[in-house]
Amino acid sequence: MVKGSRGMNPITFVLAGILCIGFFIFFFSSSDASSPATDRQKSGTAASVLSPPSLPFRKAKSNEPQAAPPVVHYYMNNVTNSRTPVENSETVLILTPLARFYQEYWDNLLKLSYPHDLISLGFIIPKTKEGNLAYTALQTQVTKTQSGPKSKRFASVTILRQDTENPLQSQLESERHKMENQKARRAAMAKARNSLLFTTLGPTTSWVLWMDADIIETQPTLIQDLAAYDVPIIAPNCFQRYYNEEEKRNDIREYDYNNWIDSPTAKELAAKMGKDDILLEGYAEMPTYRSLMAKMYDKSGDPGAKVKLDGVGGATLLVKAEVHRDGAMFPPFAFYHLIETEGFAKMANRLNWESFGLPNYLVYHYNE
Amino acid sequence: MHRHAYSNGQAAYPSLGGNGTFSIEPHKFQPRSQPALRRRRQLIQRLLLVCSVFFTALFFFFPDLRPNLGSGPLSYLTASEDSQLETVRYYDLNNVQGTARGWEREERILLCAPLRDAALHLPMFFSHLKNLTYPHNLIDLAFLVGDSKDDTITLLTKNLNDLQADPTPKQRFGEISIMEKNFGQKVNQDVESRHGFAAQAGRRKSMAQARNWLLSAALRPTHSWVYWRDVDVETAPFTILEDLMRHNKDVIVPNVWRPLPDWLGGEQPYDLNSWQESETALALADTLDEDAVIVEGYAEYATWRPHLAYLRDPYGDPDMEMEIDGVGGVSILAKAKVFRSGVHFPAFSFEKHAETEGFGKMAKRMKFSVVGLPHYTIWHLYEPSVDDIRHMEEMDKERKAKEAEEAAKKERMDKIKDQFDVSKSTDWEKEKAEVQDLVQKAKNEAKKEKDEQKQKADETKEEAEKVAEKKEEEVKAAPVVQKKDENVHEARGEDEKSKPQPVQPQNEAA
Repeated sequence: MVKGSRGMNPITFVLAGILCIGFFIFFFSSSDASSPATDRQKSGTAASVLSPPSLPFRKAKSNEPQAAPPVVHYYMNNVTNSRTPVENSETVLILTPLARFYQEYWDNLLKLSYPHDLISLGFIIPKTKEGNLAYTALQTQVTKTQSGPKSKRFASVTILRQDTENPLQSQLESERHKMENQKARRAAMAKARNSLLFTTLGPTTSWVLWMDADIIETQPTLIQDLAAYDVPIIAPNCFQRYYNEEEKRNDIREYDYNNWIDSPTAKELAAKMGKDDILLEGYAEMPTYRSLMAKMYDKSGDPGAKVKLDGVGGATLLVKAEVHRDGAMFPPFAFYHLIETEGFAKMANRLNWESFGLPNYLVYHYNE
Repeated sequence: MHRHAYSNGQAAYPSLGGNGTFSIEPHKFQPRSQPALRRRRQLIQRLLLVCSVFFTALFFFFPDLRPNLGSGPLSYLTASEDSQLETVRYYDLNNVQGTARGWEREERILLCAPLRDAALHLPMFFSHLKNLTYPHNLIDLAFLVGDSKDDTITLLTKNLNDLQADPTPKQRFGEISIMEKNFGQKVNQDVESRHGFAAQAGRRKSMAQARNWLLSAALRPTHSWVYWRDVDVETAPFTILEDLMRHNKDVIVPNVWRPLPDWLGGEQPYDLNSWQESETALALADTLDEDAVIVEGYAEYATWRPHLAYLRDPYGDPDMEMEIDGVGGVSILAKAKVFRSGVHFPAFSFEKHAETEGFGKMAKRMKFSVVGLPHYTIWHLYEPSVDDIRHMEEMDKERKAKEAEEAAKKERMDKIKDQFDVSKSTDWEKEKAEVQDLVQKAKNEAKKEKDEQKQKADETKEEAEKVAEKKEEEVKAAPVVQKKDENVHEARGEDEKSKPQPVQPQNEAA
């Protein structure tokens, strides 16, 4: 008797093991199909690697023969962009041209309260030494986040590398802002933005949020707050925190001067210019007397105040996807003597889309 | 002497004493383990069993708690399909700049086709697709279907599904997307309203919008080339993608003509939107207001631009290139980097142009090369315009009238013939028989009176000449002829053989 049970033991265990594995597979495969939670997820999932980058895709099993990619319908009539984007499950594409990686930027991104499974990220990084560093840092953070807790994971992340045509030797602030460097720099920047935009904008995207890599502090509800205005293009006021030496305290000052309302002086200047010349803002050599949104900040004013703008900056900018789809892009050439984001506002305007700014709603730029 | 070497019945081993090295003690009992250990082991087994049951149940009811086992064979046991999901993608755009021999470098092409009420042309379009020689798996197809009132969508879907279900894997294409988007256009798509001058600016702007929506939704970081193709191209080389790609230009278009019915000259330049800029046109552009759009091929704007279409020589070198500024949209091959850097189809007046012409202008503005091939021709479908249809109706009417007239004439002739035949079959035959008898008799007589006959023949000859003159006059008075004919035949019957002269003169002779 004892001898018999001893002989059977390994066989029973093997059988039990096989049975167990069978149960596991059975349970898990069936639960995938039945649970309603995964159904919702499925709608935002692509079946093959050939799919919009704004959608995550199912990995192909390596041992299966490659099936023909399916015919996919996108009902773009149903893509909405409303005042209440969360309730309508509207997807947001956050685009960032990245030259330097700041940990604060990523932390701030993770703090956004908009459902992360509705957010796709897109980055474009130049192929320079600095870019390589930024790439490595970003990759580490992305991997960490995307394998971390589910609620923090983003729907998808696309990282592009590209040679810039006019790579400036230095990303130093002083070098970057020299006037003669501006046109070439901003043309290259515009091309980078366009490359990023047109390759990542999927057929399901409702909103595009442009956010520069050096924006390190925003409201967690940034997207909801900006979308609530329900306007085609909207820019908050971009400020910078610094230590005020005179008053010996932490203070804030205006940073981005590209949000402005046009002036007659600027129009006259433009009229006298050659076809390829551009107007720039924030340079003493070229006084335009435009009304700058940066100067409109009023601490005690209505936080929800909204002004109509003629030029916008790209520091933080929420755009309805249809504005970009109609063709509004960042001109890398002088478009009405404007370039990049300012030219974008003008081009959108030619397509009958208006731009607005929020003078009293602040986001903060990194202080170098 | 008998030696019992192995007398004890043992095997033939030398017995070297009772408990030597080779002795075996089969009857010795050894306990396997301690009872206490055995009991504990059972306990452990039971615990494990309970645990596994518990976790199975737990994971079954709460799938979110399942551990992540990474990707690998173990991933079968993981949570939902989550770890099967790829959420991060890396691309290097330097690899997709587009080269002259894309098919060797496996460069992907995005084929874009905006569609509206195009069900009629789809079968033709798909036959073109199947025939393309560029590796199909490298071609991604993207369609934008908008404001269609016919069954374009269903037909398109069916055709595409068939395409992907093709038994030969080489026939299958890459990513296929159909975007449905209605822009609420009021513009009619029939040829006349499509090409009328007044409708052009608005129509071009909305076409541009559709193209931009399609491109921005379908362009991926993997694309090296973008090919725009109208569905109503009737004839194009199968190798068109390679042919255009070989030139390694940023934007390139072939010449587009269309076949015509013979009465319109057999063929005609079709796409007049590929042109080189002219001084006249630039001067004209300066006089127009900001939102005006110059459209080519209309008398309203005389631009005097050299058009690609008019420069075609059927025997010219198909590889010849020509720098152009405006491009037509029937068949454009462009490097994807052109679109990535922001060039698009302006849905507003860009340097006084919109859609594909504006696209050409903008590409030029961004210093991309834009060329056309004057002697490499593809053929657009001929759809008759309203004028043509009217003309064709007129021609049809004319033709019918002519046919009717001919039919009437024929009927009349038949009637006449019938009357004639009737006489032939009855009276005529009888008479003929009689005549032949007479002739026979006459012959007999003739043999006797040869001399007389000779004289008579001379006389008739003279008379015949006179009659021929007379006859010429009578031909002019046509209506009389028919009656005369009857007389002719009857008369001929009377003296057929005796007077071997032309028929009508005989009549007079009689």
